[in-house]
Order: sequence, then C-alpha cells, then structure tokens
Amino acid sequence: MATRLLIAEDEASILESLVFILGREGYDIVTARDGEGALQQLQADGAVRLLILDVMLPRVNGFEVLRAVRGDAALAPLRVLMLTAKGQARDRQMADQMGADAFIAKPFSNQDVVREVRRLVAP
Amino acid sequence: MESGFGLKIREKRKTLGLTQAEVARSVGISTSYFNLIERGKRSIGGALLLRIARALDLDPAALDDDAERRLVTELTETAADPLLSGLDLDAAAVPALVGRHPAWARALALLHRECRDRGEVISAMSDRLSQDPFLSDVVHRMLTTIAGIRSTAEILDSVDDLEATQSRRFRANLAVESTRLSEAAQALADFFDRSEAPKQAITPGEEVDDFIIAHGNHFPALEEGTARLRARLGANAAGGTAALAAALASRKDVAEGNHRPLSAPRRARAGYRDGGYRDAGYRDAGHGEDALWDGDGTVSEAGRRFAMARHAVLHDLKDTIDDLVENAPQLISEEARQRVVSVLASYGAAALLFPYDPFLEDAERLRYDIGLMRRRYQASFEQICQRLVSLRRPGAGGVPFAMLRVDPAGNLSKRFPLPRLPMPRHGAACPLWAVYRAFQTPGPVVRQLVELPAGDRFLFVARVVRKGVDSFAMPARQLSVAIVCNAQYADRLVYGDGLDLSGRARAEPVGVSCRVCPRADCQHRAEDPIVPT
Repeated sequence: MATRLLIAEDEASILESLVFILGREGYDIVTARDGEGALQQLQADGAVRLLILDVMLPRVNGFEVLRAVRGDAALAPLRVLMLTAKGQARDRQMADQMGADAFIAKPFSNQDVVREVRRLVAP
Repeated sequence: MESGFGLKIREKRKTLGLTQAEVARSVGISTSYFNLIERGKRSIGGALLLRIARALDLDPAALDDDAERRLVTELTETAADPLLSGLDLDAAAVPALVGRHPAWARALALLHRECRDRGEVISAMSDRLSQDPFLSDVVHRMLTTIAGIRSTAEILDSVDDLEATQSRRFRANLAVESTRLSEAAQALADFFDRSEAPKQAITPGEEVDDFIIAHGNHFPALEEGTARLRARLGANAAGGTAALAAALASRKDVAEGNHRPLSAPRRARAGYRDGGYRDAGYRDAGHGEDALWDGDGTVSEAGRRFAMARHAVLHDLKDTIDDLVENAPQLISEEARQRVVSVLASYGAAALLFPYDPFLEDAERLRYDIGLMRRRYQASFEQICQRLVSLRRPGAGGVPFAMLRVDPAGNLSKRFPLPRLPMPRHGAACPLWAVYRAFQTPGPVVRQLVELPAGDRFLFVARVVRKGVDSFAMPARQLSVAIVCNAQYADRLVYGDGLDLSGRARAEPVGVSCRVCPRADCQHRAEDPIVPT
C-alpha cells in the first residue's frame, strides 16, 4: 500500500506542483487548503504518515496545526515537514521548538522536496 | 601631553628669540609654570592668557582656539569608539596630533563623523526593514509566488512524458504566478519610491556650529546689508523698533506673507525645515516666538515683528546670504546649508530690528539687563540673548557670550560656545548648569557662578521661555535659554551684582558633559567618562 501524505497548502500552483511530483513518486496524496481542514483530515484519517505543512495557512496557521498535532497522542507517529519562507529564521526556530521534523524554505527545488519526503517516511 | 596651544606659544617664543625664563618673568609667573603651559600640562585662561598673548604679540583669539579645542574633544571621543578599541589609542596624544597635523586631525574627525552617520542610517534602515509589516508581507508574497513558479517550471523542464492537459495546466499556472510576482515586485518598487529620502547627514548641526564659530558669530556683510535695508525702509534707529515694524508691515510682500503659509517650494528655498527650525519659520509668525511667561501665550508682538524682519531679510539680502553659504568650506551637507540659511535669516532679522551700535550702547548702559533690553526693544528674551551673542565686531565688541537653548529632555537646540566653554556635540551638557536648573523655577531669571574642572569661571544667566499656542491637547513648548560669559566680565552685568567675584570665592563646581568630565566624586554623574580619571 502506498504511503499516504497530507499536503496543507493554500497556494494553488504550489499545491498542484507538489501533488504532481510526489504523485509521480508513488505516494498516495490527500490535500487541505487551510489549517482547519488539515486537522479535520488528520483526525478522520489515521493512515497519514507525513504532513507537509505551510506556515502561512488561512484560518488556523501552520504553527497552530503543529501544536495541535504534537498535543494529540494519537498522532504521535506523524512526521511533519514544514514549508517556511526563506530568511524567516524565527519561523524555523519556532517550528523546531514545537516539534517539526524538517523544514524546507520557499522557493524550493522539487528535488529537495522529494529527497526530504523520502527520508522522512523511510521505514 | 603637548597641546596645540602650548606649541603655538613655544613656536612664537622661539621666533622672537626669547627664553622661557624671559617670558615667564615678563608675565609674572615662574619659569617652571611657564614650561608646564608650553608643554600643555596646564591650561590657562583669563588674565594670564591675555598677558602671555601680549608678551608674545599673539592674538589671544588665536591662542584660545576653540575650534581646535573642539577638535581635540571630538578626536578624544573618537579614540574611545569601540571600533578602535583594539588599536590601544593613547587619548593623551590627541592634542599633539591636533597641534602638529591639524589637517590630518580634521580629516580623521570628518571620517569618523561620516562613519557614525552611515552607521546610524544603516541601523535605522535595518530596523525599518525588519519591522515594516508591509515589507514583510510583500516579501512573503514574492517568495511564495516564486516557489510556485520555480516548482512548476522544473516540472515543465524535467518531465518529458507530461500529458497535454497537464502541460497546459502547468503553463497556465506559470502565467498566473508570473503576473502575481510582477504585481508584488511593483508594490515593492512603489514602497521604495515612496520611502526614498535624500541622504540626510546626522551631524549637520556640527557643520553649522563650525560655520558660526569660524565667523565668530559676527557677519559684517549682514550687518551692513541690514543697515542699508533699514535706511531703504525709511526707519532710522531713532524711530525705534515700532517704526521699523510699521515700515515692514506696510510692505506688501511682508504683510501678506505674514498671514499666509509659505508654499512648500518657497519654504524649501527659504531654508525652512519642518521640525528643527519650525519655530523660526515664517508660517509660525505671531505664534513662534516666546510669549511672556505669565502672558496668555497666544500672539506675541515680538514674534510677529521678528518673523516680518526675517522675511524681509530673506527677500532683500538673499544674495548676501547665498554668498556666505556658498563660500563656506565648513558646510558639506545640503541639510547644513539649508540650516545656515535659516540661521543667517534670524541673524539678519535681529540685526535689522536691533541695530548694532545703539543696541550695544544700550546693553552697556543697562548693564546687560535682559528684562530692560526687552522693554527698550519690545523683544523676546531669546531675541535679546541672540543679539547679545552676536555683538562681536572686532574692536567694538560687547561682552563675549556663549548661548544655549535646551528642552526639558535636555536636547540642545541652539548652541554657541565660548573659548574654554565647549558645548557637548551630542547628548546633554552638565546637569548642574543653570540652563537645566531654570526648569525648576520657570519665570524668573536664574544666575549661577560656576567653575569648570580646568579652573575657568563662568556666569550663567538662564530663563525658561514658552513657545507656541498653549492648548490642553498640545501644551506650549517650554525651553530654557541661557547666555554665559567668562566671570572676568561679570561685573559689567547686572547679574553679577552681589556675587563675590574674587578668585577665592566659592563657585559651583561643574563640568561640560559627563563623558569628558574628570570630577570622579560628582553625584550627578550620568555617564562614565571616556578618559578614565
């Protein structure tokens, strides 16, 4: 069975690209366009192994999603890859303290994303 | 330590072929003391300075070179800059450097000022960039859009088996994101267009000071120009200030200008600057000058007259002012040139309203009683002070005064130093100075006899003045204005009456500013001294 990823990203073209490149890698992909949707999906679907999480999400932002995830024992095995804007050192520091597993700065290269995802979901 | 002062004495003595003992004897001091003076180990002033100058046929002003002293203070502060801490600079060598290589010393000081200016600008810009919410938002938008473009372009470039519909979809995304990127970039460019300011020197005040000091705060061209202007207006000194004011008011440009704000370009040409010199601006005519403390503080006649005179000077003596500004090597920044135009306009206004010879005569006769001078000339406290400070015609000068004006926070907004009484270049002066104490008793004139660490004695005369309209929402501005003279002149002033002016009498020990003050035991110290005491 393919590994399931949840991509939470509000920017349509980034989301579309990520779905395409990671789909080609054989992952099973679900998406959310805001933080609230991401949390709902995670609670409904225990099969998600990795959350790709943008920081600047509408409604509930990426940090709040991360906090909720790390405060939920049922989601303990979930890996989280955060997408931060380049140069936002404070964002990265905060994500690190709050328990993100990795970061990728925008603008990223597709290869970096693929490599990082592979690493995080490796058994 | 060898000072430029000592060097000058020594060089002149040698030129005259005199020995130290001969000069010491002729001025009535010991050879060893004279030796200390020549080597810069003792600083002197007052009568002894005058005697030595006379004995060596030197101009006392050349000996008491305040510009040089300021340069020494400035370079001593420079030596303490953390940037140079690794170089182990000997602050005691500064006077010798200034004395022997004045041009190099000035170059160092100029470079350091510039360096400080740039530093201030950079930190201001960096604060601005890191804290501006618009900038952070637009940068984030750009990075996000670029992320979309980059990711999409990589797919189009590297995936060979893209289906036609997918390819169309990604290309459409590229077009959309490119448009968004252009918009964000445009917003950013607009932002910088709007916030682009001309390079502003942080230290134009110092250039202005250098200019005024270089002229000894006396401008013969303006004195002559205003005398001609007064004659043209048909008001002679005997007619008094009121007649002159009437003549001014009858002039169309002056009278109209008085009731109408200047347009921005005219203000710029006239050297007005929002903020710093607004109180001297024409737009504030009638409201800008200080009112009597117990008056209603709305419209001061003195302020209205001064503004009219200033306007006439700017209009009629423009060439004279431009000439002075254009030929001033001290004025490097445009900002400083603009400020000097404003300063000279005020100088001219004072010269027009308070003609030199009768004003000096009255001052001497009334023993510099500013209250009586105000009544005689129907002028404000500050206007009288400012004119007194400019009575420096060689051979026909009044008592030499320093002048300063501070706000309750201690910011110096006007300063004119005296030899041996330097004014701090930035930050506050000594908190013990009467100019600050006057805020405790606003209204009456405060006088104070002080002694500086080097032994020089000065008499301070200070008073709080009020500027602007007093409203509950925006209370009038309170400023303390002081003039200061060397104690040797105090007996010519009404303010010296009743004071024991003998050298043995007690004078309040004060400094210039904490950073250069050696009084280790002062309980008013606010900052550590730069040179350890």
